[in-house]
Amino acid sequence: MASRIQPIRIRRRVEDHVLGNRSLFHFDFCVIGSGAGGGTAAHVLTAAGKTVLVLEAGDNSFPGLDDPSPLPFPLHSNDEIKYTIRNYIGQSPTLEPRTFRKQGSEEATIHDNVNLLAKAVGGSFQHADCKTPRFNATDFRLKSTMEALIAANPGLSVPGFGADSASANFADWPFSYDDLEPFYAEAEELYGVQGAAGANIYESRRSGPYPMPPGVSAYAGLLISEGARKTMLAGEPLNPHPYPAAINSRFYDGRPPCVDCGLCSGWGCPNNSKNSPAVTTIRRALLTGRCQLRFNSAVTRLVNDGGHVQAVEYVDPAGDVRTLTADAFILAASPIESARLCYLSSTPSGGVLGNTSGQVGRNLMFHFQTNVDGFAPQRIHGQRSRAVSNGITDFRGVEPGGETIRIIRDGSNLNVYMGGICEMGSAGGTPITTDGSVYAFQIGQLGATGTRSGLALKNAMRDMPLGQHVFGLTMQAEDAPQLTNQVDLDPTVRDIFGVPVPRVTYRNHPYEQSARQFYIPLLKQIVMNAGATSVFVAPCDAKIAGPPTSAHIMGTLRMGDDPAVSVTNAQGRFHDVDNLYATDGSVFVTSAGYNPTLTIFAVALKIAHGIVGG
Amino acid sequence: MKPLRLIARRNLPSEGRRPPVPLPPELHWQANADVWHAVKLHFGRRRFLQGLGVVLAALAAPLGRIRRAGAAVPGGFFTHQEFITLQALCDQIIPPDHDPGASDLGAPEYIEGLLTAFDTGGVPRIFAGGPFSDRNPFPDYTNGTPSTRFPRNSLKNFLPLSRLEELEWRAQIFGSVAAGLPSFIDDQAGGSLIGLRDLYRTSLAKVDQVATSVANAPFAALPDDERTLVFQMLDSGAFKPDPRRGGMTFVDVLIEHTLEGCFALPEYGGNAGTRGWQMLGLEGDNQPLGFSVFSFAKGDYNERPDHPMTTPNPDEIGPDGSLRPLPLTAQGTAIEQTLVTLAQALGADCE
Repeated sequence: MASRIQPIRIRRRVEDHVLGNRSLFHFDFCVIGSGAGGGTAAHVLTAAGKTVLVLEAGDNSFPGLDDPSPLPFPLHSNDEIKYTIRNYIGQSPTLEPRTFRKQGSEEATIHDNVNLLAKAVGGSFQHADCKTPRFNATDFRLKSTMEALIAANPGLSVPGFGADSASANFADWPFSYDDLEPFYAEAEELYGVQGAAGANIYESRRSGPYPMPPGVSAYAGLLISEGARKTMLAGEPLNPHPYPAAINSRFYDGRPPCVDCGLCSGWGCPNNSKNSPAVTTIRRALLTGRCQLRFNSAVTRLVNDGGHVQAVEYVDPAGDVRTLTADAFILAASPIESARLCYLSSTPSGGVLGNTSGQVGRNLMFHFQTNVDGFAPQRIHGQRSRAVSNGITDFRGVEPGGETIRIIRDGSNLNVYMGGICEMGSAGGTPITTDGSVYAFQIGQLGATGTRSGLALKNAMRDMPLGQHVFGLTMQAEDAPQLTNQVDLDPTVRDIFGVPVPRVTYRNHPYEQSARQFYIPLLKQIVMNAGATSVFVAPCDAKIAGPPTSAHIMGTLRMGDDPAVSVTNAQGRFHDVDNLYATDGSVFVTSAGYNPTLTIFAVALKIAHGIVGG
Repeated sequence: MKPLRLIARRNLPSEGRRPPVPLPPELHWQANADVWHAVKLHFGRRRFLQGLGVVLAALAAPLGRIRRAGAAVPGGFFTHQEFITLQALCDQIIPPDHDPGASDLGAPEYIEGLLTAFDTGGVPRIFAGGPFSDRNPFPDYTNGTPSTRFPRNSLKNFLPLSRLEELEWRAQIFGSVAAGLPSFIDDQAGGSLIGLRDLYRTSLAKVDQVATSVANAPFAALPDDERTLVFQMLDSGAFKPDPRRGGMTFVDVLIEHTLEGCFALPEYGGNAGTRGWQMLGLEGDNQPLGFSVFSFAKGDYNERPDHPMTTPNPDEIGPDGSLRPLPLTAQGTAIEQTLVTLAQALGADCE
């Protein structure tokens, strides 16, 4: 591959793109990616005395991250131009495109929406609003629990299970919720999670309270919570709760509480109140003196003999190809890029690295979002709050405690609908993208409103019917793992380095579509009960956007005990490569109905502690 | 939570826009440029005013606009005539009324700032710095109140670009060929990218060409109602949709940039005095104070009474404490109805 890498004339000084101990030259571990999986692993490994090289493809917004004096404020800011419009810390869809198709028989085309994750030191979590619910006990044994439920209830059929199990690829995780619980607790402590233990009746057993109480609720969150309390499911009112988030509600770990500046989901935090990996685990790793982090350094290949990785090849910040060695390697580049690297790293026999099972890149999962909104007559002022402060878990499809699956009876019919946690929220603080562009380009062009330009556009801007009056819920529903939903290499499209880009093939399963259709009427009731004057269901991503836009990416290097049907083992190590691990969302077996990052943290902690024997 | 995915940017097919007076076919972007002189005039006797038009337009304009129009062009990219045309176009998109219009807010300066982002000799003006402006104080955590201490403005210190960012933005501004993008990148993206500098230069010339052809005067010299008609003509086929810009025409790009210039951080050159945000009832950048101020004394947060977080805005609460929503204009109401209808038409299914 190296010979195909294109020279680019713009030069950068390589030494300006290094954090941590620059004098290290031998590394016990090389971690590829500095986000949720990589940051967590780097922290545990360096704390145990290992030397670690972290390679990060993106830039650094945290000057002074490796300086032991108090952490300065970062380069993040309240700036709609920088983030939403000019794609700061994003990945360019032109220079580093990805392609998408709905099924294997189609030709894939370049699509921005498979490019949504940030590319930066500290990963995408700094760019999210850091929501961190846990998965349920059921999620780690969904296959066996559901099959037992079907066996015990004649007449119950669930898409993807029982007689229909061949249409999906569900499996149990190789460990249980109880096995992971201590690491959930450690992750909540390490990454500073706010929340109220007991407030969410569906949460599975916790060994302790949340490290911080919930912060202030958004006005929209309070209104929709009230609407939820007036809405009934199976004869019981719904149960709104504060949404757990890795955002400071108090001074924590030397950083200040969130001031609710409003520019949250899609922005970096100027105040360092978001506990993203950069300011938590990456910083800790750098301060041990045993970590070197090279950023603007895009890995293009793992040099290997088929069963062992010797070195990593990357393009440095000046555009030159370099090679570094380490004793062991950890993939944490996010599921699409981690799987792509296996494809780019040919074995001597011409195969895909780690692909004895034929499963590398398969079982790609996103969350299947259903978004139901309404118009409030008054201003909701979502620019003054975190993006999401409250939610409901009633639509996840489990009984309180999350140990068993809920059967919904409709007359004599039995049904199971595994939806997901619902985020309550509103727009706000983005007048150009949420309001102006929509009025001028989308609705203005439909001709009904005349808001293409002129006073009509100006009046619409001052009213802000979208930015100030829309509020609603987004259900983060589980999507079924499928062998045919996968990442491989596009046969023709290349990135700016001349390297083949990832090709994403993805199509929804009836498992998630049936849950969507069941919960939509309830979601509409909640919004109307919250005081909306009208309500609408946003069209499905598959219909208008193509790929899912959840930015929750899981699967592709599934973990499991059986090397024939999984890529990595319960310890996160590749079954067939003796010094290669994965610690990002790629090892997930199922997607559950919860934002994935806390579970990435917990699984990475479990794997990394396993590696160092702690 | 992104509740507006319904209208993800530019994902809906555009219906043809039908101006009251159609664009003469000779002026369509696909027509042969040589036939300009043959265009028939559509504006009747109004065209006789064209000589006086420049003077009258200047006299009618608010003082601030004249001064800016007459001043040396700040960014050094547009000619004087181009800048005047651009100002008039921006005001066509966000016109002045009791609130400032786009040129009062500095949208043309914002646009010129983008086109000259690499002309600084230092760090390109693409990404404003962080973390804070000097417009909001630090919180005082002792009692949960705003302090009297303000940060210095670090937003005005633009951020150095990485190699890929520089390549991306040079291609945007100068065009992909001039930026040295490998040809395979252009090929797989559907052709070379025309830079914004070229787009503005050629398009502003065409704006005045169209205005002169149909109304015998440059765009900025036309009276308001004629500008409206010419703008609608420009927006109905005068410019080629660019597949590299998501099918946007020059008018689309101009509307987008004008909105950016009105409502972006002032550090980018527009939104003068943050009056763009003020007219929308938005606070704009608000760090490091924010809207909830933690108080050690209280062990909890204080909200800012004039900018509440958990309750309605003060101007929507009646004397008896009940909710009194302010009415929307006809446009706001129409947008709500259109969205609901549109969502119903698109359906809740997924195939």
